Amino acid sequence: MVVLDDVRLTLGSAAGEVNILRGIDLKIRAGEAVGVVGPSGSGKTTMMMVVGGLERPSAGRVLIDGQDLGQLDEDGLARFRRDRIGIVFQNFHLVPTMTALENVAIPLEFAGRRDAFERAREGLAAVGLAERVTHYPGQLSGGEQQRVALARAVAIKPSLIMADEPTGNLDRDTGQAVMKLLFGLHDELGTTLLLISHDEALAQRCDRVIRIADGQVAAS
Amino acid sequence: MTTLALAFRLARRELRGGLKGWRVFLACLALGVAAIAAIGALSQAVQEGIRADGKVILGGDVAFRTVHRPAKPEQRAFLQSAGTVSSSVEMRAMARAEAGPKTARTLVELKTVDGDYPLYGQIELAPAQSISAALAVKDSVPGAVVGADLLQRLKLKLGDRIRIGDATFAIRAAIASEPDRGGRVFILGPRVIVSADALAKTGLMRPGSLVYYHYRMKLPAGTNLKGWVEDVRERFPDAAWRIRDASGAAPGMRRTVARVTLYMTFVGLTALLIGGVGIANAVGAYLGGRRETIATLKCMGASGRLIFATYLIQVAAIAAVGIAIGLVIGAAAPFALAGVVADEFPVPVRTGIYAGPLIFAAVYGALAALAFSIWPLARAREIQAAALFRDVVARTRRLPRWSYVLATAGLVIAIAGLAIWSAPSRYLATWYVIAAAGSFLAFRLAGRLLAVIAARAGKAAQASGRAPRLRLALANLHRPGTPAPSVVLSLGLGLTVLVAIGLIEGNITNQIRNRMPAAAPTYFFIDIQSSQIAQFDAALKSVRGVEKVVRMPALRARIVRIGGVPVRKAQVGPSARWAVRSERGLTYSKTPPPGTRIVAGRWWDADYAGPPIISFDARIAAGMGIGVGDTLTFNILGREITAKIANLREIDWQNLGMNFTVIFAPGTLEKAPHTFIATVRAAPGTETAVMAAVTSRLGNVSAVRVKDALDTIGQMLQRLGGAVRATGAITILAGLLVLAGAVAAGHRRRVYDSVVLKVLGARRRDMLRAYLMEFGLLGLATVGIAAILGTGAAWAVITQIMRAQWTFLPAPVLVTVAAATVATMIFGYVGVWRALGRKPAEFLRND
Repeated sequence: MVVLDDVRLTLGSAAGEVNILRGIDLKIRAGEAVGVVGPSGSGKTTMMMVVGGLERPSAGRVLIDGQDLGQLDEDGLARFRRDRIGIVFQNFHLVPTMTALENVAIPLEFAGRRDAFERAREGLAAVGLAERVTHYPGQLSGGEQQRVALARAVAIKPSLIMADEPTGNLDRDTGQAVMKLLFGLHDELGTTLLLISHDEALAQRCDRVIRIADGQVAAS
Repeated sequence: MTTLALAFRLARRELRGGLKGWRVFLACLALGVAAIAAIGALSQAVQEGIRADGKVILGGDVAFRTVHRPAKPEQRAFLQSAGTVSSSVEMRAMARAEAGPKTARTLVELKTVDGDYPLYGQIELAPAQSISAALAVKDSVPGAVVGADLLQRLKLKLGDRIRIGDATFAIRAAIASEPDRGGRVFILGPRVIVSADALAKTGLMRPGSLVYYHYRMKLPAGTNLKGWVEDVRERFPDAAWRIRDASGAAPGMRRTVARVTLYMTFVGLTALLIGGVGIANAVGAYLGGRRETIATLKCMGASGRLIFATYLIQVAAIAAVGIAIGLVIGAAAPFALAGVVADEFPVPVRTGIYAGPLIFAAVYGALAALAFSIWPLARAREIQAAALFRDVVARTRRLPRWSYVLATAGLVIAIAGLAIWSAPSRYLATWYVIAAAGSFLAFRLAGRLLAVIAARAGKAAQASGRAPRLRLALANLHRPGTPAPSVVLSLGLGLTVLVAIGLIEGNITNQIRNRMPAAAPTYFFIDIQSSQIAQFDAALKSVRGVEKVVRMPALRARIVRIGGVPVRKAQVGPSARWAVRSERGLTYSKTPPPGTRIVAGRWWDADYAGPPIISFDARIAAGMGIGVGDTLTFNILGREITAKIANLREIDWQNLGMNFTVIFAPGTLEKAPHTFIATVRAAPGTETAVMAAVTSRLGNVSAVRVKDALDTIGQMLQRLGGAVRATGAITILAGLLVLAGAVAAGHRRRVYDSVVLKVLGARRRDMLRAYLMEFGLLGLATVGIAAILGTGAAWAVITQIMRAQWTFLPAPVLVTVAAATVATMIFGYVGVWRALGRKPAEFLRND
């Protein structure tokens, strides 16, 4: 369960203060898939960063599974992400010096799981990359890299998966394959999904679509 | 899994990328460690050489020395009962070829040996023969063996005869190697060895002559040397001898080696400090390239501590490699340089791998690597996970957390503390640390200032609308992430060292080669008997060219008590220790000698006739903590005389004139056997005639040519200067490494700039000019500040530590400044040249 209660974010810049989020109220039920759409600069990504504890709101509260993120310090937030949240980026963000297997294993290792590599192997197999475990990111195609990232995001069985334009850097067919995989994992694991996308059709595949405009929820 | 174990695992994966990106880090660290290790290892090789050859250099297990008079019969009897004693007499005398012109004379270092000589080591003669056979009387002429330099100076060959005093000697052999000569650094003339009986016939050993008597001993095996020496001191508390044991052989050489090592270690530390800038830059650049990875790891739940530990482990691993490279080079140095050192300096070198200096260098390297890495590492831990979504450059905090700032401060203090603690002179080391820290801060500020000035000047250029290339150059000096501050800092420090070394060396050389000879007398005549004064004066009157003569009575004595406390138990500061190490020159006078500067007390009346009072050197008195009214006790020719200090004088030792540490009031020394010493200034071109006029009439009087002595020192300094300059060059190398690293780190940005500018219509020529201006301005600003700081440092060393007169010498400064500016431009230029060669299309397509 994700709750945003009048979340505001103001950033100072040389040109003066910029109100990026202007009072967002949002409730997402456990297991729900929510698509977030809106024009560039509307605050979609910032909202996601606030939900992930990557950015602290200037005002308002963020609760995930009943935990108020405002009460956690930086390391506490890191631990919270480690245990509860999986993130998929547009640019994959795999660690270039680690193999596919090691990339998927990192969050499990952070969580102190002894079976980290075993589970990472299973995760890679689940996204169809069982044969690619020893490859480095540089040796994988874009679609393969995003599948590794997907496997990494779900490796810890998070209660919330956040995906920011996960198909933005992929061609149409590969993108569709990755999305099929993402929704499949969501259905299979019963995880809450927060999907940010430009692609209206993609967002429509979610249970609910909310529109962000000018730092506020325009419609949901 | 613990954070540390996890950090190790992550670090290992990250290091798969190999050493790429770490080259400058490795080079900077290895260079600094190698310099410190090499200096330490070489110094230890020399110290070990002196120690291992201690008995040979000293000539025995223990050596006793008296001046003017031999040891008393009961003292000699005791020594003979304790072990084998080899007696020897040393003095300076004039030698001339019997057949040659009377004017061809030279000062020699005369020495007698007995049948037991040498107790340790071998004397090698050419042609090979035993020393006793060579010195024996043959055809009623005693033999002499001489240094090869005597043969050259007097144009002699083996078999020729020389006159020393009233005796004639046949040269039987040249000395190929004299075992106990290595202990002496300062030698005025060629060596001549004769037998004791033969020396007696020269007539040189007159009352008051400056003659040293040596008793070198071989003690039975298993004797506790220190204990035995203590016993001797207790048994003969009033003996006037100086005692040295083999562990303390060649103390002057040891002190010199220790001092040279100290200065060179300072230079090595400076190289490490400069390299530290490169280390910090390299770590910063590496971590800058890992921003994305760090942010990704943080997104997945990595704590700041885990990030810090992961990259600290990587830095430590790479540092270990750099230190190891440095240590290998340092350990090899004694083997590579032993030959050069042994050829250039009169020191034994015992090559080997010495753990001590290597451990020291490794500790310095590790501390420096950490001290310079923690800052960028601590900043890396602050990289926000949100960096993946947005460029958050502006939001990273400038200062790391306090704990890391404190850790860095602690490491810097540890390095400074180690430098001071391990130095033979804490005083000098403390000043070095202060100067190094001050220069570091000064160049940091200068780097900032340069950026500010460049920004202002850039705006002015912008307003005028002219000089677009200059504007580009100025912009490059102050834009965010500019390498200018670190280049100013690192190159500037290196240049400061070079300018300082150049000026210090130039000043010393100037002192020795120009200033001192200009002020100094031409000759010192020693061992003039009281009865010979009239003859001496007459001899000087008989030749032209004598300009100034100063003559004073002279004898030598040891200070045995300071204010009633035996010297060995008295507190004597470092600045005065030399005065109690061996005999000091004494004289007496009714009136203050010309040029006397009394700083405390007053001079005595010319008709003074009371108990012994003296005038004493003010600086030594300060070192001993005594003043007017305190007493000093001297052992003069075996008798102890206690005198009260009536006044203190400031003595300028650098005028090389007739300077006596102690001047007695009339009534004490007149009756003691003593000789006179005279300084004579002769007009150019008349020197030899003046010398011959005196020494041909007074066969026992020796002439020491001041210029020869200064030349000896000058040559030694020149060789030492070469070694110091070579070490100093390491600091510049470190600075250039930092520059190269900075240029390499900015390569991508320069490529991008050049591509964009080309697209916008800039010609390659325009950009080259702009870059040339950029590096020219950078170089000029750096060398300007370095010239000022280096000159200040040199001035402080010359006037405050050496207490010599200061002359600003533009040549070394200008040469260093010009070379450094050109080097900066070339290094920077070569770096950007490659950037300019790239074609825009290949980048634009990808972007």
